Amino acid sequence: MTQPLSVENVTAHYGTTKVLEDLSLSVAAGELVSLLGASGCGKTTTLRLIAGFLEPTAGRITLGGRDLTRLPAYRRDIGLVFQNYALFPHLSVLDNVAFGLKQRGVGSSERNGKAQAMLERVGLSGLSDRLPGALSGGQKQRVALARALVIEPPLLMFDEPLSNLDAKLRVDMRVEIRQLQRANGTTSVYVTHDQEEAFSISDRVAIMNAGRLMQFDTPENLYQRPANAFVARFVGFENLIAMRVVAREGDQMTAEAAGGTRLELSQARFGDIPDRFVLATRPDGLSVSADPNAPGIPAKLGLRTYLGRAYQYQCETETGRLIANGALSTPLEPGNPARLVPVPDQCCVLDAE
Amino acid sequence: MNTSMPRSLVAFAAVVYIFLVGPLIIVIGAALSDTSYLTFPPQGLTFRWFENIFEISAFRRTIVTSMQLAFLATGLALLVGIPAAYALNRHRIQLPSWLSTVFVLPILVPEIVLGFSLLKSVAVGASLPIFLSLLIGHTLIVLPYCVRVISASLSSFDFSIEEAAISLGSRPAKTFFTIVLPNVRSGVIAAFILAFITSINDVSTSLFLTGPGISTLPIQILAHVEQFFDPTIASVSVLLMVLTVAVMAIVERTLGLTFLTK
Amino acid sequence: MPKRFAGWILAFPATVLVALFLIVPVTLTIATTFGDGSGPVAPYLDFFNSGFRRTVLWRTLEVSLATTAISLLLGFLTAYVVSRAPGRLKSILIIAAVFPLLTGVVVRSFAWLIILGKNGILNNFLTWIGVIGEPLSMLYTEGSVIVAMVYLFTPLMILTLVGVLENIPDDVIQASASLGATPVATFRQVIFPLAVPGLIVGAVLVFTGSFTSYATPQLLGGERQMMMGTLMYQAAMVNFDWVSASTIATIMVVITVSVVLAMTRIAKRLNPMTT
Repeated sequence: MTQPLSVENVTAHYGTTKVLEDLSLSVAAGELVSLLGASGCGKTTTLRLIAGFLEPTAGRITLGGRDLTRLPAYRRDIGLVFQNYALFPHLSVLDNVAFGLKQRGVGSSERNGKAQAMLERVGLSGLSDRLPGALSGGQKQRVALARALVIEPPLLMFDEPLSNLDAKLRVDMRVEIRQLQRANGTTSVYVTHDQEEAFSISDRVAIMNAGRLMQFDTPENLYQRPANAFVARFVGFENLIAMRVVAREGDQMTAEAAGGTRLELSQARFGDIPDRFVLATRPDGLSVSADPNAPGIPAKLGLRTYLGRAYQYQCETETGRLIANGALSTPLEPGNPARLVPVPDQCCVLDAE
Repeated sequence: MNTSMPRSLVAFAAVVYIFLVGPLIIVIGAALSDTSYLTFPPQGLTFRWFENIFEISAFRRTIVTSMQLAFLATGLALLVGIPAAYALNRHRIQLPSWLSTVFVLPILVPEIVLGFSLLKSVAVGASLPIFLSLLIGHTLIVLPYCVRVISASLSSFDFSIEEAAISLGSRPAKTFFTIVLPNVRSGVIAAFILAFITSINDVSTSLFLTGPGISTLPIQILAHVEQFFDPTIASVSVLLMVLTVAVMAIVERTLGLTFLTK
Repeated sequence: MPKRFAGWILAFPATVLVALFLIVPVTLTIATTFGDGSGPVAPYLDFFNSGFRRTVLWRTLEVSLATTAISLLLGFLTAYVVSRAPGRLKSILIIAAVFPLLTGVVVRSFAWLIILGKNGILNNFLTWIGVIGEPLSMLYTEGSVIVAMVYLFTPLMILTLVGVLENIPDDVIQASASLGATPVATFRQVIFPLAVPGLIVGAVLVFTGSFTSYATPQLLGGERQMMMGTLMYQAAMVNFDWVSASTIATIMVVITVSVVLAMTRIAKRLNPMTT
């Protein structure tokens, strides 16, 4: 039982403050989509809207063709995993898991059987009589997961489910969540502020900022082809260099940055480049060269830090401060001049802001 | 929010609130009525029943006694209660766990039993003066509020701050007044107000300890109601409300409190 | 001061105050009932042999239980509404519940004299709308005492329970809704069980408070509806029979202390959130 979710032109307010503006998002049946962004970006608001704890001021939410917009939360049939687990402290682990079945009128022996089976699936079969207070964080998380899964909802939603766990457990749990989700084929929405977590488990990721959707794509595309400066910065393109095309010659094109630095770029690699654009690179995409004639941006090297795989330099250039990486074999001293050479594979071209 | 509240439940709560606040409004109305019997709604407005309070010497005297008792008892209870609360938190390992129960005993033991026992042992047995016996009784019944409320705010106080001050060269006693006390100020204020209100409204303990010439305002009101049933009683009740609120307001203004909103 | 005794030294004055002026006097009061020469349990036999006194004890239990039950109901439902009210309104409602508590027992009981009296507001109103032909005598009945006591203790119950209900995290309630529980089911299966320890605390406060009250039964019950408090006052200050007053005091202590102990024990067992 799996259904597509569609959020259409949804706007939401807290009091008079607009917290979500004209958001549209569609999640295919069986897909896992993450909502990613800093706190206050609207990702949790979106989840609460879908869950029915908040009503949109405009727009529509449908699940498998069923209009959820005005349906009370308890009739939406959505499995939710909360950040703080939200287990019922007065009920045993088994009763927690069986709670949703009980609301659906499932008889006690059947629901205990199903709950027990689900507990086995998440690896907690021995703990059914415990109270949540006696469980560790990871165990609580599994109970929360079992409780949401056992009702076999057409949609599962996770609200920063791993943020209270330690680093090691977080990685294990996210693999487990992905496996369970895949096995059940349940459409899922996953809210997180952790980029690695979102990218590693999602089919697609929606990056949000200030109540708006910035880009909604596969992790690969987001990582390599951010659509705008916000997403570029978010996925680690730390150097954003404003440029202007000065000459086009077949595939080759010459662009100039502030201060007169000129770079040659291939149109075939970057597609149609507008007259004004922003060249974005990660520190890895700017390599530091001591050769004064290298085809790059003239820079004066500043602080050097050791990254293990490379040295990283804070560089002063005519276009501002840039961050570039240099080879471990040739450490350069701060204060020296150098050239920062863009690595085409690791650059992308964005519209001018 | 989508967590709708059944309308019938809201209506029920509204009725409960009318039940809670209504009688107080009735007392205030009755105090202002220009009739010689108690009635509501007031017929004509007058302040003469308030003037009448001060014509009756028993009221004049007991208002003073009640205020004195409330301030002294609260002061004394804070004086012994603050160190006790501090000890319970800072030196918890040293002290037995039953000690905190000792300080709640005055709430656990019925006040009326405490009053009667103090009458037997202290007022009659040890022949202590009436005012002193009353003061002992009141200090005891307000002590639990002082210890518990201040203890509660000390329990969230980070004692490493105190250690930091001492490591910087501040002497322990001075540190208590300059570092610890200012940080639990809202607790002290809350304790003061609770204690003051408890003392000024007390009946059950005072009942047995008042004597010839010395009584408290609530006991005097009780005695008066049994003989006269005129608006003076309503106006003296209002006066007692006003006094309580005034003390709260003064304490709030001078010490700045936000405990009600917490 | 020596570090090892610092705690004791600081706690000493308060401890002495309680020991000297509470533990000793109350123990003496209890002791008098066992050692007045006429046999160790004679005063208790006297008490329970008197039909009048048994009636008073019975009435006191009845009034206290009724008060507790009614204020539990009023307090819980109201506290639920208050705890779910939006911020501003919530603080106003809390202050409105605190205000009656600032006003003393005497004043608040007195208010009901004005309301329930022969020429009181309620009688005037009922006569005016024609429900009754002549004023009812509502004062000095068990009912009038219960109404006033409920009035006295409901604010306390509301404040206790608002605190308890606010401690129930929002996401637990949302979890319940997301699992398909209707508001009524959430209330019965989640909110109510989690509030039980608070309900017990509130019930203990109200029961012991009403069981040992004096001013309210004195004003609204009079001689006819005597309760343990008024009975004890009469024994001590009208009949000057200190042994029977002490006996009544002891019975009051035993009953209230056992209720407190029993209920805290139940509350502890019921409260799964201690871990």
